[in-house]
Amino acid sequence: MTVMINLIKRNLKLFFRDRTSVFFSLLAVFIIIGLYVLFLGNMMVKNFKELLGDNARFAVDSWVMAGLLSVTSITTTMGALGTMVEDKAKKISKDFSSAPLKRSQLAGGYIMGSFIIGVIMSIAALVIAEIYILAGGGKLIALMPLLKLFGVMVLSVFAGSSMVFFITSFFKSNNAFATASTIIGTLIGFLTGIYVPIGVLPSAVQTAIKIFPISHAGALFRQIMMDVPISIAFKNAPAQAVTSFKQTMGVVFYAGSKELSPLINILVLIATGIVFYMLAVIKISIKKRD
Amino acid sequence: MPNIIEVNNLTKSYGNIKAVKNIDFYVNEGELFAFLGPNGAGKTTTIDIICTLLKQDSGTVVVNGYRLGEQDDKIRKSIGVVFQDSILDNLLTVKENLYTRGSFYGMKSIELSEAVEKASKAADVTSFINRPYGKLSGGQRRRSDIARALVHTPKILFLDEPTTGLDPQTRKSVWDTIRNLQKGTGMTVFLTTHYMEEAANADYVAVIDNGLISAKGTPVELREKYSTDSLHLFPKDGNNIEAYLKDHDIKYTISGGAFIIPVSNTLNALPLINKLESLISGFEVISGSMDDVFINITGNIVRED
Repeated sequence: MTVMINLIKRNLKLFFRDRTSVFFSLLAVFIIIGLYVLFLGNMMVKNFKELLGDNARFAVDSWVMAGLLSVTSITTTMGALGTMVEDKAKKISKDFSSAPLKRSQLAGGYIMGSFIIGVIMSIAALVIAEIYILAGGGKLIALMPLLKLFGVMVLSVFAGSSMVFFITSFFKSNNAFATASTIIGTLIGFLTGIYVPIGVLPSAVQTAIKIFPISHAGALFRQIMMDVPISIAFKNAPAQAVTSFKQTMGVVFYAGSKELSPLINILVLIATGIVFYMLAVIKISIKKRD
Repeated sequence: MPNIIEVNNLTKSYGNIKAVKNIDFYVNEGELFAFLGPNGAGKTTTIDIICTLLKQDSGTVVVNGYRLGEQDDKIRKSIGVVFQDSILDNLLTVKENLYTRGSFYGMKSIELSEAVEKASKAADVTSFINRPYGKLSGGQRRRSDIARALVHTPKILFLDEPTTGLDPQTRKSVWDTIRNLQKGTGMTVFLTTHYMEEAANADYVAVIDNGLISAKGTPVELREKYSTDSLHLFPKDGNNIEAYLKDHDIKYTISGGAFIIPVSNTLNALPLINKLESLISGFEVISGSMDDVFINITGNIVRED
Protein backbone atom coordinates (compact mmCIF):
# COMPACT_ATOMS: atom_id res chain seq x y z
CA MET A 1 0.00 0.00 0.00
CA THR A 2 2.84 2.41 0.86
CA VAL A 3 4.37 1.59 -2.49
CA MET A 4 1.17 2.50 -4.30
CA ILE A 5 0.75 5.73 -2.33
CA ASN A 6 4.30 6.71 -3.25
CA LEU A 7 3.61 5.92 -6.90
CA ILE A 8 0.40 7.97 -6.79
CA LYS A 9 2.31 10.91 -5.29
CA ARG A 10 4.92 10.57 -8.00
CA ASN A 11 2.33 10.53 -10.78
CA LEU A 12 0.53 13.56 -9.32
CA LYS A 13 3.78 15.53 -9.05
CA LEU A 14 4.80 14.62 -12.59
CA PHE A 15 1.45 15.79 -13.95
CA PHE A 16 1.10 19.05 -12.03
CA ARG A 17 4.73 20.10 -12.47
CA ASP A 18 4.39 19.84 -16.22
CA ARG A 19 2.46 23.04 -16.94
CA THR A 20 1.85 22.16 -20.57
CA SER A 21 0.23 18.84 -19.72
CA VAL A 22 -2.07 20.61 -17.24
CA PHE A 23 -2.98 23.16 -19.90
CA PHE A 24 -3.55 20.58 -22.62
CA SER A 25 -5.74 18.44 -20.41
CA LEU A 26 -8.02 21.48 -20.05
CA LEU A 27 -7.72 22.44 -23.71
CA ALA A 28 -10.99 20.70 -24.59
CA VAL A 29 -12.69 22.86 -21.94
CA PHE A 30 -11.31 26.06 -23.47
CA ILE A 31 -12.17 24.95 -27.00
CA ILE A 32 -15.77 24.16 -26.09
CA ILE A 33 -16.21 27.47 -24.28
CA GLY A 34 -14.61 29.30 -27.21
CA LEU A 35 -16.89 27.52 -29.65
CA TYR A 36 -19.99 28.63 -27.76
CA VAL A 37 -18.87 32.16 -27.03
CA LEU A 38 -17.93 32.74 -30.67
CA PHE A 39 -20.33 30.63 -32.73
CA LEU A 40 -22.94 28.26 -31.35
CA GLY A 41 -24.05 30.09 -28.21
CA ASN A 42 -25.99 32.98 -29.72
CA MET A 43 -27.65 30.75 -32.29
CA MET A 44 -28.89 28.35 -29.63
CA VAL A 45 -30.08 31.12 -27.34
CA LYS A 46 -32.00 32.65 -30.25
CA ASN A 47 -33.59 29.30 -31.08
CA PHE A 48 -34.83 28.81 -27.53
CA LYS A 49 -35.85 32.43 -26.93
CA GLU A 50 -39.47 31.74 -27.87
CA LEU A 51 -39.72 28.66 -25.65
CA LEU A 52 -37.70 29.77 -22.64
CA GLY A 53 -37.99 33.55 -22.70
CA ASP A 54 -35.41 35.44 -20.67
CA ASN A 55 -34.08 32.23 -19.18
CA ALA A 56 -32.87 30.93 -22.54
CA ARG A 57 -29.33 32.10 -21.91
CA PHE A 58 -29.13 30.56 -18.42
CA ALA A 59 -30.55 27.26 -19.64
CA VAL A 60 -28.30 27.03 -22.69
CA ASP A 61 -25.20 27.99 -20.71
CA SER A 62 -25.99 25.34 -18.09
CA TRP A 63 -26.55 22.78 -20.84
CA VAL A 64 -23.20 23.53 -22.47
CA MET A 65 -21.30 23.46 -19.17
CA ALA A 66 -22.90 20.15 -18.14
CA GLY A 67 -21.66 18.60 -21.38
CA LEU A 68 -18.27 20.15 -20.84
CA LEU A 69 -17.92 18.55 -17.42
CA SER A 70 -18.62 15.11 -18.85
CA VAL A 71 -15.93 15.53 -21.50
CA THR A 72 -13.44 16.70 -18.88
CA SER A 73 -13.47 13.29 -17.21
CA ILE A 74 -11.98 11.80 -20.37
CA THR A 75 -9.56 14.51 -21.47
CA THR A 76 -7.97 15.12 -18.06
CA THR A 77 -7.45 11.46 -17.21
CA MET A 78 -5.95 11.01 -20.65
CA GLY A 79 -3.50 13.81 -19.90
CA ALA A 80 -2.66 12.17 -16.58
CA LEU A 81 -2.04 8.76 -18.13
CA GLY A 82 0.45 10.31 -20.54
CA THR A 83 2.94 9.50 -17.77
CA MET A 84 2.32 5.80 -18.27
CA VAL A 85 3.14 6.02 -21.98
CA GLU A 86 6.18 8.18 -21.31
CA ASP A 87 7.47 5.67 -18.76
CA LYS A 88 7.43 3.03 -21.46
CA ALA A 89 8.88 5.31 -24.14
CA LYS A 90 11.70 6.55 -21.90
CA LYS A 91 12.34 3.05 -20.59
CA ILE A 92 11.65 4.16 -17.04
CA SER A 93 9.46 1.06 -16.88
CA LYS A 94 12.68 -0.97 -17.07
CA ASP A 95 13.65 0.42 -13.69
CA PHE A 96 10.23 -0.52 -12.29
CA SER A 97 10.63 -4.06 -13.63
CA SER A 98 14.05 -4.43 -12.05
CA ALA A 99 12.56 -3.69 -8.60
CA PRO A 100 10.40 -6.10 -6.58
CA LEU A 101 7.32 -4.13 -7.61
CA LYS A 102 4.04 -5.89 -8.38
CA ARG A 103 2.28 -5.14 -11.63
CA SER A 104 -0.87 -4.47 -9.62
CA GLN A 105 0.94 -1.84 -7.52
CA LEU A 106 2.24 -0.13 -10.62
CA ALA A 107 -1.14 -0.24 -12.39
CA GLY A 108 -2.86 0.90 -9.21
CA GLY A 109 -0.51 3.88 -9.02
CA TYR A 110 -1.37 4.94 -12.55
CA ILE A 111 -5.12 4.37 -12.14
CA MET A 112 -5.48 6.08 -8.79
CA GLY A 113 -3.18 8.89 -9.90
CA SER A 114 -5.24 9.56 -13.02
CA PHE A 115 -8.48 9.29 -11.03
CA ILE A 116 -7.34 11.89 -8.50
CA ILE A 117 -6.05 14.17 -11.27
CA GLY A 118 -9.36 13.72 -13.12
CA VAL A 119 -11.34 14.78 -10.06
CA ILE A 120 -9.11 17.77 -9.29
CA MET A 121 -9.19 18.98 -12.89
CA SER A 122 -12.97 18.44 -13.08
CA ILE A 123 -13.37 20.64 -10.03
CA ALA A 124 -11.26 23.26 -11.82
CA ALA A 125 -13.48 22.88 -14.87
CA LEU A 126 -16.58 23.26 -12.66
CA VAL A 127 -15.21 26.54 -11.27
CA ILE A 128 -14.65 27.80 -14.81
CA ALA A 129 -18.13 26.60 -15.79
CA GLU A 130 -19.82 28.40 -12.89
CA ILE A 131 -17.95 31.61 -13.68
CA TYR A 132 -19.12 31.29 -17.28
CA ILE A 133 -22.76 30.74 -16.23
CA LEU A 134 -22.61 33.63 -13.77
CA ALA A 135 -21.07 35.92 -16.39
CA GLY A 136 -23.95 35.10 -18.74
CA GLY A 137 -26.51 36.26 -16.18
CA GLY A 138 -27.27 32.83 -14.68
CA LYS A 139 -27.33 31.80 -11.04
CA LEU A 140 -24.61 30.10 -9.04
CA ILE A 141 -25.36 26.50 -8.15
CA ALA A 142 -26.73 25.82 -4.64
CA LEU A 143 -25.01 23.61 -2.07
CA MET A 144 -27.13 20.46 -2.34
CA PRO A 145 -26.98 20.25 -6.14
CA LEU A 146 -23.27 21.02 -5.84
CA LEU A 147 -22.75 17.95 -3.67
CA LYS A 148 -24.77 15.85 -6.11
CA LEU A 149 -22.67 17.28 -8.91
CA PHE A 150 -19.55 16.22 -7.08
CA GLY A 151 -20.89 12.68 -6.72
CA VAL A 152 -21.62 12.46 -10.43
CA MET A 153 -18.18 13.87 -11.13
CA VAL A 154 -16.53 11.08 -9.16
CA LEU A 155 -18.57 8.47 -11.05
CA SER A 156 -17.86 10.12 -14.36
CA VAL A 157 -14.11 10.24 -13.72
CA PHE A 158 -14.24 6.62 -12.51
CA ALA A 159 -15.82 5.48 -15.77
CA GLY A 160 -13.71 7.84 -17.89
CA SER A 161 -10.38 6.94 -16.34
CA SER A 162 -11.04 3.20 -16.65
CA MET A 163 -11.82 3.52 -20.36
CA VAL A 164 -8.81 5.74 -20.92
CA PHE A 165 -6.54 3.44 -18.90
CA PHE A 166 -7.57 0.48 -21.01
CA ILE A 167 -6.94 2.36 -24.25
CA THR A 168 -3.66 3.85 -23.02
CA SER A 169 -2.26 0.46 -22.03
CA PHE A 170 -1.90 -0.30 -25.76
CA PHE A 171 0.43 2.62 -26.48
CA LYS A 172 4.20 2.48 -26.33
CA SER A 173 5.29 5.71 -28.00
CA ASN A 174 4.54 9.32 -27.17
CA ASN A 175 3.75 10.22 -30.76
CA ALA A 176 1.14 7.53 -31.23
CA PHE A 177 -0.45 8.45 -27.92
CA ALA A 178 -0.48 12.18 -28.73
CA THR A 179 -2.19 11.45 -32.04
CA ALA A 180 -4.75 9.21 -30.36
CA SER A 181 -5.37 11.89 -27.70
CA THR A 182 -6.05 14.49 -30.35
CA ILE A 183 -8.46 12.23 -32.20
CA ILE A 184 -10.27 11.18 -29.04
CA GLY A 185 -10.34 14.76 -27.77
CA THR A 186 -11.99 15.85 -31.02
CA LEU A 187 -14.48 13.00 -31.25
CA ILE A 188 -15.44 12.96 -27.61
CA GLY A 189 -17.59 16.08 -27.90
CA PHE A 190 -19.64 14.47 -30.67
CA LEU A 191 -19.83 11.07 -28.95
CA THR A 192 -21.27 12.63 -25.81
CA GLY A 193 -23.60 14.88 -27.83
CA ILE A 194 -22.52 18.14 -26.29
CA TYR A 195 -22.24 20.36 -29.38
CA VAL A 196 -25.73 19.94 -30.75
CA PRO A 197 -28.85 18.85 -28.81
CA ILE A 198 -29.36 15.12 -29.23
CA GLY A 199 -32.99 15.57 -30.27
CA VAL A 200 -32.13 17.22 -33.59
CA LEU A 201 -29.71 14.45 -34.65
CA PRO A 202 -30.59 11.42 -36.83
CA SER A 203 -31.75 8.44 -34.79
CA ALA A 204 -28.66 6.32 -35.60
CA VAL A 205 -26.42 9.05 -34.17
CA GLN A 206 -28.70 9.33 -31.15
CA THR A 207 -28.26 5.62 -30.51
CA ALA A 208 -24.46 5.93 -30.79
CA ILE A 209 -24.48 8.74 -28.23
CA LYS A 210 -26.66 6.77 -25.81
CA ILE A 211 -24.38 3.74 -26.09
CA PHE A 212 -21.30 5.79 -25.26
CA PRO A 213 -21.14 5.58 -21.44
CA ILE A 214 -19.84 9.07 -20.75
CA SER A 215 -22.99 10.54 -22.35
CA HIS A 216 -24.82 9.26 -19.29
CA ALA A 217 -22.57 11.40 -17.11
CA GLY A 218 -23.58 14.30 -19.39
CA ALA A 219 -27.25 13.52 -18.80
CA LEU A 220 -26.76 13.41 -15.03
CA PHE A 221 -24.84 16.71 -15.07
CA ARG A 222 -27.65 18.29 -17.11
CA GLN A 223 -30.32 16.98 -14.75
CA ILE A 224 -28.58 18.74 -11.86
CA MET A 225 -27.37 21.91 -13.53
CA MET A 226 -30.49 22.62 -15.61
CA ASP A 227 -32.93 21.93 -12.80
CA VAL A 228 -33.22 25.58 -11.77
CA PRO A 229 -33.33 27.21 -15.24
CA ILE A 230 -35.90 24.64 -16.44
CA SER A 231 -38.18 25.04 -13.45
CA ILE A 232 -38.11 28.85 -13.82
CA ALA A 233 -38.70 28.83 -17.56
CA PHE A 234 -41.44 26.18 -17.52
CA LYS A 235 -43.21 27.48 -14.40
CA ASN A 236 -46.54 27.86 -16.15
CA ALA A 237 -46.01 25.42 -19.00
CA PRO A 238 -47.69 22.01 -19.36
CA ALA A 239 -45.73 18.95 -18.19
CA GLN A 240 -45.66 17.71 -21.78
CA ALA A 241 -43.55 20.71 -22.82
CA VAL A 242 -40.97 20.05 -20.10
CA THR A 243 -40.69 16.38 -21.01
CA SER A 244 -40.17 17.07 -24.69
CA PHE A 245 -37.62 19.79 -23.93
CA LYS A 246 -35.68 17.43 -21.67
CA GLN A 247 -35.75 14.73 -24.34
CA THR A 248 -34.52 17.09 -27.07
CA MET A 249 -31.66 18.42 -24.94
CA GLY A 250 -30.51 15.01 -23.73
CA VAL A 251 -31.32 15.76 -20.12
CA VAL A 252 -33.17 12.45 -20.04
CA PHE A 253 -32.42 9.59 -22.42
CA TYR A 254 -35.05 7.27 -23.85
CA ALA A 255 -34.64 3.65 -24.88
CA GLY A 256 -37.42 3.40 -27.44
CA SER A 257 -40.29 5.08 -25.62
CA LYS A 258 -39.01 4.12 -22.17
CA GLU A 259 -37.46 6.85 -20.08
CA LEU A 260 -34.07 6.01 -18.52
CA SER A 261 -34.04 6.97 -14.86
CA PRO A 262 -31.05 8.65 -13.18
CA LEU A 263 -30.37 5.33 -11.48
CA ILE A 264 -29.82 3.73 -14.87
CA ASN A 265 -27.42 6.53 -15.82
CA ILE A 266 -25.51 5.90 -12.61
CA LEU A 267 -25.45 2.13 -13.13
CA VAL A 268 -24.11 2.58 -16.67
CA LEU A 269 -21.19 4.62 -15.30
CA ILE A 270 -20.40 2.16 -12.51
CA ALA A 271 -20.63 -0.84 -14.83
CA THR A 272 -18.40 0.86 -17.39
CA GLY A 273 -15.79 1.59 -14.76
CA ILE A 274 -15.76 -1.99 -13.49
CA VAL A 275 -15.77 -3.63 -16.92
CA PHE A 276 -12.90 -1.57 -18.32
CA TYR A 277 -10.76 -1.93 -15.21
CA MET A 278 -11.25 -5.67 -15.42
CA LEU A 279 -10.31 -5.66 -19.10
CA ALA A 280 -7.22 -3.63 -18.28
CA VAL A 281 -6.24 -6.00 -15.47
CA ILE A 282 -6.64 -8.98 -17.80
CA LYS A 283 -4.63 -7.25 -20.50
CA ILE A 284 -1.82 -6.38 -18.12
CA SER A 285 -1.63 -9.78 -16.47
CA ILE A 286 -1.55 -11.79 -19.70
CA LYS A 287 1.29 -9.65 -21.01
CA LYS A 288 4.41 -11.72 -20.69
CA ARG A 289 8.01 -10.76 -20.44
CA ASP A 290 9.33 -10.84 -23.97
CA MET B 1 35.25 -16.94 -3.03
CA PRO B 2 31.75 -18.22 -3.81
CA ASN B 3 30.11 -17.49 -7.14
CA ILE B 4 27.49 -14.81 -6.72
CA ILE B 5 26.37 -15.05 -10.33
CA GLU B 6 26.41 -18.24 -12.36
CA VAL B 7 25.33 -18.31 -15.97
CA ASN B 8 25.08 -21.59 -17.87
CA ASN B 9 24.24 -22.21 -21.54
CA LEU B 10 22.40 -18.92 -21.84
CA THR B 11 20.70 -18.33 -25.19
CA LYS B 12 18.45 -15.55 -26.43
CA SER B 13 17.16 -14.77 -29.91
CA TYR B 14 15.08 -11.95 -31.29
CA GLY B 15 13.28 -13.61 -34.19
CA ASN B 16 16.03 -14.97 -36.40
CA ILE B 17 18.76 -12.92 -34.81
CA LYS B 18 20.70 -14.76 -32.16
CA ALA B 19 21.77 -12.11 -29.68
CA VAL B 20 23.32 -14.42 -27.11
CA LYS B 21 24.63 -17.83 -28.15
CA ASN B 22 24.98 -20.38 -25.40
CA ILE B 23 27.29 -18.50 -23.05
CA ASP B 24 28.69 -19.57 -19.67
CA PHE B 25 30.43 -17.53 -17.02
CA TYR B 26 30.46 -16.89 -13.35
CA VAL B 27 31.21 -13.89 -11.15
CA ASN B 28 33.01 -14.12 -7.82
CA GLU B 29 31.53 -12.36 -4.84
CA GLY B 30 33.09 -8.97 -4.21
CA GLU B 31 34.89 -8.60 -7.50
CA LEU B 32 34.60 -6.02 -10.22
CA PHE B 33 33.57 -7.95 -13.28
CA ALA B 34 33.76 -6.28 -16.68
CA PHE B 35 31.80 -7.44 -19.67
CA LEU B 36 33.74 -6.09 -22.60
CA GLY B 37 32.45 -5.97 -26.13
CA PRO B 38 31.51 -3.74 -29.04
CA ASN B 39 28.00 -2.33 -29.42
CA GLY B 40 25.54 -5.00 -30.45
CA ALA B 41 27.67 -7.81 -29.02
CA GLY B 42 24.94 -8.98 -26.66
CA LYS B 43 26.03 -7.18 -23.49
CA THR B 44 22.75 -5.43 -22.73
CA THR B 45 20.71 -8.51 -23.61
CA THR B 46 22.73 -10.57 -21.12
CA ILE B 47 22.46 -7.94 -18.39
CA ASP B 48 18.70 -7.59 -18.99
CA ILE B 49 18.24 -11.34 -18.63
CA ILE B 50 20.25 -11.52 -15.40
CA CYS B 51 18.28 -8.55 -14.03
CA THR B 52 14.95 -10.35 -14.67
CA LEU B 53 13.86 -7.94 -17.41
CA LEU B 54 14.05 -10.36 -20.31
CA LYS B 55 13.21 -14.04 -20.46
CA GLN B 56 15.95 -16.25 -21.83
CA ASP B 57 15.21 -18.88 -24.49
CA SER B 58 17.26 -21.46 -22.63
CA GLY B 59 19.96 -21.78 -20.02
CA THR B 60 20.09 -21.23 -16.29
CA VAL B 61 21.08 -18.22 -14.25
CA VAL B 62 21.63 -18.18 -10.50
CA VAL B 63 22.03 -14.80 -8.79
CA ASN B 64 22.97 -14.57 -5.12
CA GLY B 65 21.81 -18.17 -4.70
CA TYR B 66 18.40 -17.50 -6.26
CA ARG B 67 17.30 -19.15 -9.45
CA LEU B 68 16.17 -16.87 -12.26
CA GLY B 69 12.58 -17.50 -13.32
CA GLU B 70 11.65 -18.98 -9.95
CA GLN B 71 12.77 -16.49 -7.33
CA ASP B 72 12.78 -13.32 -9.39
CA ASP B 73 11.61 -11.03 -6.59
CA LYS B 74 14.45 -12.23 -4.35
CA ILE B 75 16.89 -11.54 -7.17
CA ARG B 76 15.39 -8.08 -7.64
CA LYS B 77 15.97 -7.31 -3.98
CA SER B 78 19.62 -8.38 -4.25
CA ILE B 79 20.49 -6.27 -7.27
CA GLY B 80 20.77 -2.60 -8.16
CA VAL B 81 20.84 -1.61 -11.81
CA VAL B 82 22.24 1.46 -13.53
CA PHE B 83 20.78 1.44 -17.02
CA GLN B 84 22.22 2.97 -20.16
CA ASP B 85 19.26 5.34 -20.38
CA SER B 86 18.36 7.84 -17.69
CA ILE B 87 15.51 6.28 -15.79
CA LEU B 88 14.75 8.84 -13.10
CA ASP B 89 11.98 11.43 -13.44
CA ASN B 90 13.14 14.74 -14.89
CA LEU B 91 10.56 16.81 -13.03
CA LEU B 92 11.36 15.40 -9.61
CA THR B 93 14.38 16.31 -7.53
CA VAL B 94 17.05 13.69 -6.96
CA LYS B 95 15.79 13.27 -3.40
CA GLU B 96 12.17 12.77 -4.47
CA ASN B 97 13.35 10.25 -7.04
CA LEU B 98 15.34 8.33 -4.44
CA TYR B 99 12.39 8.29 -2.02
CA THR B 100 9.96 7.02 -4.65
CA ARG B 101 12.23 4.30 -5.98
CA GLY B 102 13.44 3.36 -2.51
CA SER B 103 9.87 2.72 -1.39
CA PHE B 104 9.63 -0.06 -4.01
CA TYR B 105 11.77 -2.19 -1.73
CA GLY B 106 9.33 -2.06 1.15
CA MET B 107 11.26 0.53 3.15
CA LYS B 108 9.26 3.01 5.21
CA SER B 109 9.76 6.43 6.79
CA ILE B 110 12.90 6.36 8.96
CA GLU B 111 14.47 3.35 7.31
CA LEU B 112 13.84 4.91 3.92
CA SER B 113 15.25 8.31 4.76
CA GLU B 114 18.36 6.68 6.23
CA ALA B 115 18.75 4.59 3.07
CA VAL B 116 18.37 7.67 0.87
CA GLU B 117 20.98 9.54 2.88
CA LYS B 118 23.43 6.65 2.77
CA ALA B 119 23.02 6.12 -0.95
CA SER B 120 23.37 9.80 -1.76
CA LYS B 121 26.59 10.00 0.24
CA ALA B 122 27.99 6.87 -1.39
CA ALA B 123 27.27 8.16 -4.89
CA ASP B 124 28.26 11.71 -3.94
CA VAL B 125 25.01 13.44 -4.94
CA THR B 126 24.37 15.40 -1.72
CA SER B 127 25.41 18.75 -3.21
CA PHE B 128 22.62 18.69 -5.82
CA ILE B 129 20.10 16.40 -4.14
CA ASN B 130 17.36 19.05 -4.10
CA ARG B 131 17.64 19.96 -7.76
CA PRO B 132 15.36 18.49 -10.44
CA TYR B 133 16.98 15.52 -12.15
CA GLY B 134 16.18 16.99 -15.58
CA LYS B 135 18.31 20.06 -14.91
CA LEU B 136 21.49 18.16 -13.98
CA SER B 137 24.61 17.64 -16.07
CA GLY B 138 25.41 14.25 -17.57
CA GLY B 139 27.82 13.34 -14.80
CA GLN B 140 25.44 14.43 -12.03
CA ARG B 141 22.67 12.37 -13.61
CA ARG B 142 24.87 9.33 -13.77
CA ARG B 143 25.72 9.75 -10.09
CA SER B 144 22.02 10.05 -9.28
CA ASP B 145 21.36 6.86 -11.27
CA ILE B 146 24.02 5.14 -9.19
CA ALA B 147 22.50 6.48 -5.97
CA ARG B 148 19.13 5.09 -7.05
CA ALA B 149 20.70 1.68 -7.73
CA LEU B 150 22.32 1.74 -4.28
CA VAL B 151 19.27 2.88 -2.32
CA HIS B 152 18.33 -0.60 -1.10
CA THR B 153 21.98 -1.63 -0.44
CA PRO B 154 22.06 -4.39 -3.06
CA LYS B 155 24.63 -7.18 -2.99
CA ILE B 156 25.34 -6.80 -6.67
CA LEU B 157 25.50 -3.57 -8.63
CA PHE B 158 24.94 -3.82 -12.38
CA LEU B 159 26.04 -0.97 -14.58
CA ASP B 160 25.29 -0.99 -18.29
CA GLU B 161 27.87 1.24 -19.97
CA PRO B 162 28.03 3.59 -16.98
CA THR B 163 30.53 5.99 -18.49
CA THR B 164 29.38 6.17 -22.10
CA GLY B 165 28.69 9.71 -23.24
CA LEU B 166 30.56 11.38 -20.38
CA ASP B 167 33.59 13.63 -20.79
CA PRO B 168 36.94 12.07 -19.81
CA GLN B 169 37.19 13.83 -16.45
CA THR B 170 33.64 12.93 -15.38
CA ARG B 171 34.24 9.42 -16.69
CA LYS B 172 37.19 9.07 -14.39
CA SER B 173 35.38 10.41 -11.33
CA VAL B 174 32.36 8.16 -11.94
CA TRP B 175 34.72 5.24 -12.40
CA ASP B 176 36.53 6.08 -9.16
CA THR B 177 33.20 6.20 -7.32
CA ILE B 178 32.32 2.74 -8.61
CA ARG B 179 35.73 1.37 -7.69
CA ASN B 180 35.61 2.86 -4.19
CA LEU B 181 32.13 1.48 -3.60
CA GLN B 182 33.26 -2.00 -4.55
CA LYS B 183 36.42 -1.81 -2.43
CA GLY B 184 34.77 -0.08 0.52
CA THR B 185 31.63 -2.18 0.85
CA GLY B 186 32.69 -5.48 -0.70
CA MET B 187 29.81 -5.20 -3.11
CA THR B 188 30.03 -7.18 -6.33
CA VAL B 189 30.10 -4.93 -9.38
CA PHE B 190 29.10 -6.20 -12.81
CA LEU B 191 29.57 -3.69 -15.57
CA THR B 192 29.55 -3.64 -19.32
CA THR B 193 31.83 -1.38 -21.24
CA HIS B 194 33.45 -0.88 -24.58
CA TYR B 195 36.33 1.12 -23.15
CA MET B 196 39.57 -0.85 -22.95
CA GLU B 197 41.07 1.18 -20.16
CA GLU B 198 38.07 0.44 -17.97
CA ALA B 199 38.24 -3.28 -18.63
CA ALA B 200 41.95 -3.16 -17.84
CA ASN B 201 41.08 -1.89 -14.35
CA ALA B 202 38.59 -4.66 -13.58
CA ASP B 203 39.31 -7.76 -11.50
CA TYR B 204 38.00 -10.10 -14.13
CA VAL B 205 37.07 -9.57 -17.76
CA ALA B 206 34.84 -11.51 -20.12
CA VAL B 207 35.08 -10.49 -23.75
CA ILE B 208 31.85 -10.92 -25.70
CA ASP B 209 31.44 -10.53 -29.43
CA ASN B 210 28.60 -11.62 -31.69
CA GLY B 211 26.82 -13.23 -28.77
CA LEU B 212 29.75 -15.46 -27.83
CA ILE B 213 32.25 -15.17 -25.01
CA SER B 214 35.53 -15.28 -26.84
CA ALA B 215 37.88 -14.94 -23.87
CA LYS B 216 37.83 -14.51 -20.11
CA GLY B 217 40.38 -13.98 -17.40
CA THR B 218 42.02 -11.31 -15.30
CA PRO B 219 43.39 -8.38 -17.32
CA VAL B 220 46.94 -9.65 -16.61
CA GLU B 221 46.11 -13.14 -17.81
CA LEU B 222 44.46 -11.82 -20.92
CA ARG B 223 47.40 -9.57 -21.68
CA GLU B 224 49.82 -12.41 -21.25
CA LYS B 225 47.82 -14.72 -23.43
CA TYR B 226 46.63 -12.42 -26.16
CA SER B 227 49.12 -9.61 -26.43
CA THR B 228 52.88 -9.37 -26.70
CA ASP B 229 55.27 -6.83 -25.29
CA SER B 230 57.61 -5.21 -27.74
CA LEU B 231 60.97 -3.51 -27.78
CA HIS B 232 61.40 -0.45 -29.97
CA LEU B 233 64.97 0.44 -30.91
CA PHE B 234 65.94 3.77 -32.44
CA PRO B 235 69.16 3.12 -34.39
CA LYS B 236 72.26 5.25 -34.78
CA ASP B 237 73.25 2.96 -37.59
CA GLY B 238 70.43 0.96 -39.13
CA ASN B 239 72.49 -1.49 -41.16
CA ASN B 240 74.53 -2.74 -38.22
CA ILE B 241 71.45 -3.46 -36.13
CA GLU B 242 69.75 -5.18 -38.99
CA ALA B 243 72.79 -7.34 -39.58
CA TYR B 244 72.98 -8.26 -35.90
CA LEU B 245 69.28 -9.18 -35.74
CA LYS B 246 69.56 -11.28 -38.89
CA ASP B 247 72.66 -13.05 -37.60
CA HIS B 248 70.92 -13.96 -34.37
CA ASP B 249 67.70 -14.93 -36.08
CA ILE B 250 65.57 -12.41 -34.20
CA LYS B 251 62.22 -11.42 -35.71
CA TYR B 252 61.67 -7.74 -36.25
CA THR B 253 59.68 -5.19 -38.17
CA ILE B 254 60.63 -1.67 -39.10
CA SER B 255 58.21 1.15 -38.55
CA GLY B 256 58.96 4.85 -38.67
CA GLY B 257 62.71 4.23 -38.59
CA ALA B 258 62.43 2.13 -35.41
CA PHE B 259 63.07 -1.58 -35.14
CA ILE B 260 60.20 -3.31 -33.38
CA ILE B 261 61.07 -6.62 -31.77
CA PRO B 262 58.45 -8.73 -30.01
CA VAL B 263 59.58 -9.98 -26.59
CA SER B 264 57.85 -12.51 -24.37
CA ASN B 265 58.02 -10.12 -21.45
CA THR B 266 59.52 -6.73 -20.86
CA LEU B 267 62.52 -8.01 -18.88
CA ASN B 268 63.66 -10.13 -21.81
CA ALA B 269 64.44 -6.94 -23.63
CA LEU B 270 67.35 -6.13 -21.31
CA PRO B 271 70.11 -8.43 -22.70
CA LEU B 272 69.40 -7.26 -26.21
CA ILE B 273 69.54 -3.61 -25.21
CA ASN B 274 72.88 -4.22 -23.46
CA LYS B 275 74.38 -5.84 -26.54
CA LEU B 276 73.17 -3.16 -28.92
CA GLU B 277 73.80 -0.24 -26.60
CA SER B 278 76.50 1.30 -28.81
CA LEU B 279 74.36 1.09 -31.93
CA ILE B 280 71.21 2.79 -30.69
CA SER B 281 70.28 6.31 -29.78
CA GLY B 282 67.34 5.27 -27.63
CA PHE B 283 64.75 2.57 -26.89
CA GLU B 284 61.24 1.97 -25.67
CA VAL B 285 59.73 -1.12 -24.10
CA ILE B 286 55.98 -1.29 -24.62
CA SER B 287 53.85 -3.78 -22.74
CA GLY B 288 50.81 -5.22 -24.48
CA SER B 289 47.55 -3.33 -24.01
CA MET B 290 43.95 -4.42 -23.65
CA ASP B 291 43.45 -3.04 -27.13
CA ASP B 292 45.87 -5.65 -28.46
CA VAL B 293 44.01 -8.27 -26.47
CA PHE B 294 40.73 -7.27 -27.99
CA ILE B 295 42.05 -7.04 -31.51
CA ASN B 296 43.73 -10.41 -31.20
CA ILE B 297 40.62 -12.04 -29.79
CA THR B 298 37.99 -10.68 -32.09
CA GLY B 299 40.08 -9.72 -35.07
CA ASN B 300 38.41 -6.36 -34.91
CA ILE B 301 39.13 -3.00 -33.50
CA VAL B 302 36.41 -2.12 -31.01
CA ARG B 303 33.75 -0.15 -32.77
CA GLU B 304 33.32 3.09 -30.92
CA ASP B 305 30.44 5.39 -31.45
